[in-house]
Amino acid sequence: MNRRRFLTHSVGSVAGLAALSGCIGNPGDSGQTLTVAAYSSFTGDGTAGNWLKSAFESENPETTVTFQTTENGVNEFIQRRSEDAPIDADLFVGLNTGELVRADEQLDDSLFAATSDRIDGSERVKSDLDFDPDGRVVPYDTGYISLVYDADEVDEPATFDSLLKSQYKNGLLTQNAEGSDPGRAFLLWTISQKGPDGYLDYWSQLADNGVQILSDWGTAYEAYQNEEAPMVVSYSTDQVYYHGDDVDISRHQVGFLNDQGYANPEGMAQFADADNPELAREFMSFILSEEAQSEIATRNVQFPAVEGVDPGGDFEEFALEPPEAVTYSYDELVGNVGGWIDDWARQIVSN
Amino acid sequence: MRVKASRLLAVGIAGMLTTLVVVFYYPVGSVLSSAISVGERLTVEPLVGVLGDPFYTGAAHLLVTDPTDLPGRFTAWVDAGMPAVDFGLFGFTAYQALLSTIASVAIGIPGAYLLARFEFPGRELLRSVTILPFVMPSILVAVGFLAMFGQTGVVNDLLSTVGLGPISLVFTLEIVILAHAFYNAPLVTRLVTAAWESVDTRSVETARTLGASPLRAFRDVTLPQLVPAILTASVLTFIFTFMSFPIVLALGGLQLATVEVWLFARVQNLALTEAATLGAIETALSLGLIYVYLRFEATQISAHSEGHSRSRMPLFSGWRSVFDPRRLGLFIYCFVAAALFVGPLLSLVVESLTTPDGAFTLDYYTFLLAQQASTAIGTIQPLAAIFNSLLFGFGALVLALPMGVLVSVVAIHEGRGSRLAEALLTAPLAVSGIVLGLGMLRTLVFGTTVFGHRFTITGSIAIVAAHAIAAYPFVTRNVTPALSGIDDQLVEAARVLGADRATALVDIELPLITPALIAGAAFAFAISIGEFDSTVLLAEGVDSATMPVALERYTANRSLGPNLGPATAMGTVLLAVTTGSFILIDRTGRWWER
Repeated sequence: MNRRRFLTHSVGSVAGLAALSGCIGNPGDSGQTLTVAAYSSFTGDGTAGNWLKSAFESENPETTVTFQTTENGVNEFIQRRSEDAPIDADLFVGLNTGELVRADEQLDDSLFAATSDRIDGSERVKSDLDFDPDGRVVPYDTGYISLVYDADEVDEPATFDSLLKSQYKNGLLTQNAEGSDPGRAFLLWTISQKGPDGYLDYWSQLADNGVQILSDWGTAYEAYQNEEAPMVVSYSTDQVYYHGDDVDISRHQVGFLNDQGYANPEGMAQFADADNPELAREFMSFILSEEAQSEIATRNVQFPAVEGVDPGGDFEEFALEPPEAVTYSYDELVGNVGGWIDDWARQIVSN
Repeated sequence: MRVKASRLLAVGIAGMLTTLVVVFYYPVGSVLSSAISVGERLTVEPLVGVLGDPFYTGAAHLLVTDPTDLPGRFTAWVDAGMPAVDFGLFGFTAYQALLSTIASVAIGIPGAYLLARFEFPGRELLRSVTILPFVMPSILVAVGFLAMFGQTGVVNDLLSTVGLGPISLVFTLEIVILAHAFYNAPLVTRLVTAAWESVDTRSVETARTLGASPLRAFRDVTLPQLVPAILTASVLTFIFTFMSFPIVLALGGLQLATVEVWLFARVQNLALTEAATLGAIETALSLGLIYVYLRFEATQISAHSEGHSRSRMPLFSGWRSVFDPRRLGLFIYCFVAAALFVGPLLSLVVESLTTPDGAFTLDYYTFLLAQQASTAIGTIQPLAAIFNSLLFGFGALVLALPMGVLVSVVAIHEGRGSRLAEALLTAPLAVSGIVLGLGMLRTLVFGTTVFGHRFTITGSIAIVAAHAIAAYPFVTRNVTPALSGIDDQLVEAARVLGADRATALVDIELPLITPALIAGAAFAFAISIGEFDSTVLLAEGVDSATMPVALERYTANRSLGPNLGPATAMGTVLLAVTTGSFILIDRTGRWWER
């Protein structure tokens, strides 16, 4: 395949350059170590992280990939920067728009370097996923937030307004937008539909109709599986896990409200003061390669970010894409998202 | 010898204070200081901001924003017929903590009565495992509660067979309070059982001989000796449930948010000043409560000489005994307790063997075996996690016992300010786990620059120290009442005969309070086994992961689909390992006592 040859070629040349610079800095040590910072579940047996490590290392025998995992994601690095504590990682994997906004609002100098025009393959990333106007974060996969509902219990909820009807009373489980990715995405989705002036009103009606807001996706989904409510805010890839003869597929129907889904792209970025910036960028373009994209898609059960990648298998057959994807851009969130979420949480708690 | 022993005491105190400062006061101080200072300047702005915000304090915000207007408002309120007043997030948090405390005490005391006054097969085992709920991660308690009390749970299934129900408990304040009772009633039971067992049989018998009815003897002789234990347990329960966090959002939802839930969200959004202010207010309230309680406790404990504990009544003695009102009451209690405690734990075990569709499966245990066999980096192996948990638990126990005893020695000292000193040394109970975690991250994990070198304090030893600090107040709470109950004449006699303070402590006092030491040891071990927040921060990679950390990691593993199956399997392992450990601790303790 032409594309792969191109990639190997360019990777080779960048690696050569990196090795050269490594020699200048540290003569006699030909091996390099790339440190990837990520969420704790990114690495481990069978994860996308471990696949990337072994695949990248076998293409670059001189290189070792290590992971630095944190419980609180990018927040740890934002705090390290603001406390002048060392950052020993080269790049961060698993960043979404809201987190990038938070990093920028907290810090005077950017935590990340602008690299996207220097990363091979970044031009093939779907343009509607690109969420950083400053070209630091490169998306590598995306999920679509949607409803999962039990068709035996309720009709398909077609619109946001329909969720206020009595037939959906006590019917919806969602997650706390303050701490949960899908919960935050669902809240932002309602803001995009009802407007910053109307969403609080909509939520007070949702609350009157018995919406339940739980801590995180896991507890909400567990409650859904225990039939505490017939609808849960989740991902449109639900049926990738649940299909086949022994599964009651009516309990795993995906509902796209207003024929939409809220896109929550995940990105990666090189730290501004990375020790191995070339190697980090090389790893990032490796993540955008077709093979890595389809591996990440199947292992993370998220959609590839690069155009024309076909993960195949169960993913291809059972992952559903919304007719229309909506998402807030970086510029729309800056200066707003904190207040939106705060006002929302205060209203819910005060009710 | 004399010099040596007192030096040992001094060295012990110095070592303890150093550990406390490094692993507790410095990290916590680094966070809480931002509640009262901006840069180098002291300020009350953050405190006024929070206390003056009706969202946080409801009607009480006027105390800060407009105190002169209060009398007028008060008369207007009385004129309006004294309607219910809203005290904001702090008010609601205190309200649910109060209800949770009442429920925990109500459920805990009959358990203590059963364990202290009746003999039945399996009593000692039951006593050993009462502490189990303490170590359960909230996510598993949520799983167990949903399976037990949910829409399609066991309770509703049972109700429907007799034509009742269904009851909707999930997402209500009631289920949050039940979950709090699940965690804290065992604490009440354990503390009160110990007090009940040490009630001197002779004093009760004397009262009976003098003509007191059993009820009167209980009210006048037994109850006063139980009050300190009941109050200790109530104060601890109130503080824990006041700072309750994950279980609230897992079973109740955001509508029932507590201060701690809100504090956590502030930390996630890096609104650290507001988080620190909330944490400082929580700590001040908790410490104040502890101080008031300690003042009270000091007036309550009277010296009693080494007595004989009363012999237990057999629970079953012939079929007639079943209809004895006391026993009948206890049987009903056992039924309720089984639903509340055994139900969720057993449901958890059942869930670990069941697919989401209800079919039997061993997949989740196969998953654990696969993790064990895997050599992939970043994988937490279950056996390694079990080993670490036991190692840290043992280390925390060994460290927390002397620390707790030292604080008790300070506490029973009659000097000025010793109540205050004990309250301050009990601070680990009064600080939000989230604040402590944040402080540890910013000081120990990020490191501190001293003489141009950056020092970080992480890894196994830091974990054991953090666990010991979380645990020693429990040792103190068990040991102080026992220690101050020792007849002063015994210690004085030893001193007259030439023993110094430390020798008297080790040779005379400690052997007399072995049951309290064992109880403290069990608590220390339990705290360590269940600890998650500090462990996950201080662990260096997966090598020092414990069982709760492994469990949390497995909840994020989707290889068997989006369900908590692997976590429930690990939770079952956690239950089994801790049950075994508690039985061992109790057996060893009793063997030592003989």
